[in-house]
Amino acid sequence: MSTARERILAAAKANKPAETKLPDVPVFGGDASVERFAAVLAGIGGQVSWINGPRPSAAELQQLFPDARLVASPLFPASVPVDQQTPISVLEGIDLAVLPGEIGVAENGAVWLPEPAMLHRALPTVTQHLALVLDHRRIVATMHQAYAQIPDAGGYGLFVAGPSKTADIEQSLVIGAHGARSLVVLLH
Amino acid sequence: MSHSIRAEKFVADVDRTTWHDETLWFVRQKRDKAVYGVPEFQELRELASQIKEHTLSRLDDYLVQFEAAAKANGVHVHWAADAREHNDIVLGIIRRHGATRVVKSKSMLTEECHLNPELIRAGIEVIDTDLGERIIQLRDEAPSHLVLPAIHLKKEDVSDTFHLHLGTEKGNHDPQQLTEAARQHLRAKFLAGQVAITGVNFAIAETGGVVICTNEGNADLGVNLAPVHIACMGIEKLLPRLTDLGVFTRLLARSATGQPVTTYTSHYTKPAEGRELHIVLVDNGRTQQLGRPDFRASLKCIRCGACMNTCPVYRRSGGHSYDFTVPGPIGAILSPNIDMKKHSSLPFASTLCGSCTDVCPVKIDIHVQLYKWRQVLAEANEIPASKKWSMKFMGRMLTSPKAFGVSGRLGRQALRLLPHGLTHATSLNTWAIARELPEPPKQSFREWYQQQEGKS
Repeated sequence: MSTARERILAAAKANKPAETKLPDVPVFGGDASVERFAAVLAGIGGQVSWINGPRPSAAELQQLFPDARLVASPLFPASVPVDQQTPISVLEGIDLAVLPGEIGVAENGAVWLPEPAMLHRALPTVTQHLALVLDHRRIVATMHQAYAQIPDAGGYGLFVAGPSKTADIEQSLVIGAHGARSLVVLLH
Repeated sequence: MSHSIRAEKFVADVDRTTWHDETLWFVRQKRDKAVYGVPEFQELRELASQIKEHTLSRLDDYLVQFEAAAKANGVHVHWAADAREHNDIVLGIIRRHGATRVVKSKSMLTEECHLNPELIRAGIEVIDTDLGERIIQLRDEAPSHLVLPAIHLKKEDVSDTFHLHLGTEKGNHDPQQLTEAARQHLRAKFLAGQVAITGVNFAIAETGGVVICTNEGNADLGVNLAPVHIACMGIEKLLPRLTDLGVFTRLLARSATGQPVTTYTSHYTKPAEGRELHIVLVDNGRTQQLGRPDFRASLKCIRCGACMNTCPVYRRSGGHSYDFTVPGPIGAILSPNIDMKKHSSLPFASTLCGSCTDVCPVKIDIHVQLYKWRQVLAEANEIPASKKWSMKFMGRMLTSPKAFGVSGRLGRQALRLLPHGLTHATSLNTWAIARELPEPPKQSFREWYQQQEGKS
């Protein structure tokens, strides 16, 4: 008896239509300004804040997140050291994660966060609050330009656009469903 | 039971029907606003359509390419010809790990395969973690929409459900507080999850990775805390290249809810160190649909739900009236492929206005397929006798000018002479259930025209 794999592939081969062309996707232009990025991000519940360099200072963090007690970050000596082996019992208590984002997308406020930037894969969603540090020169107009700069997605990587949200109860928008309750992009 | 009989129950509550209609129309309007902000949106639709068509035209090649790339990434790839095989594979993986606690993010495929009841029967605790899915799971209901599974419920319903199951304050309808209660309840489940099951929005043949889009972050939280991830996908989810995602991520959320993009667009390519990633490739009728030239374009669907939000019939009859995993216009063209007899009424639950086709981000000719399914169903004798014979009679009458003239005269006379209770008897004339017949004219246009000729 043939395997499911063989049966599915044989049926797909037998039933598929005549081959059509794979189109080239043009790189559409668009507005890649910081203003657009900030406006769109504000529209989806996030916010932009300026910092002086790629590593936020203690004073800048204190001003932005006065209540954050347990903080994780690869950018400065943080209160909670996190790596891939960090147990869930530690991860679940984290108030704030400050992670280096790689690319910003002006059309939708998303920031590309590759695996090496996030210490532990669960950190960007398990933390109560998330801050992504981004070089403002790395903002592109659309997702096309963003993907053009991502040669492969790595083992894991994600675009994060604003805080976790839901509208599953009568279409009322509520910020803070399961992931981070707030998202700040720290531009420098 | 047909769509119209189920819809009758839904529309019995007039206020709720109006609310449902308006709520979904509001989502459609949000979609329009988002779409008009992208000057190249129509070009993107065409590109998405062409990319999907190309992928289907080489589906076997891309499946093989995807499998090889995924295996090279250390992913376990499984193949399931039908729902039975899919459920067995998933249960097998869970059992091999001795797991009893499963957290699940949204997956219409697992709904299609009825995975949850299978797992629960096998003694596994299955927790749906999308808020809408969790609400309907607690109520033991099916989703009524592709992306808004609890859209048929009002906040009072959710409040009652959470009071009963999560112990929230009775009569507290505040969405913010209800969501917070669900967050706390589900967080405990996430932290304790042993296996995470997810659906898949897109699978990339060249990288062997899968992409999952959520707003809540529930897929990422579940997957990245659990030791085992099982991603279940229909074989039509494939895209050839990573860069194709540029097109599809620009279309999906805008078409679905009017957002510029989903909050999380997550790319799972390799399992984390010491963990497992399983991908289950499921056919379950898809290769059969691929072999139907008139209907294969339905496989391009990216499950955004735009066709539902715009459909005048869906908005006023609710998702449960369709009694199929995928409701609305797209469900009405997918379902007859699965079971022509059971779903024979769905292609008729449409005005054929074409609005679904207009908003479809991958340009599926939904209303044309609805029309074509009607022909197929009639040929297969799967339409009610009353519809079949009245259509046959109408067909004859309308093709003969003589018969048409006679019938018109008889009809006008009958309407004038017969009592209203008889001409509008709903047992004989279902058309008149909610409509008034027009006042019969004294003569037809043809009769009038002939008189004019005599005069000149």
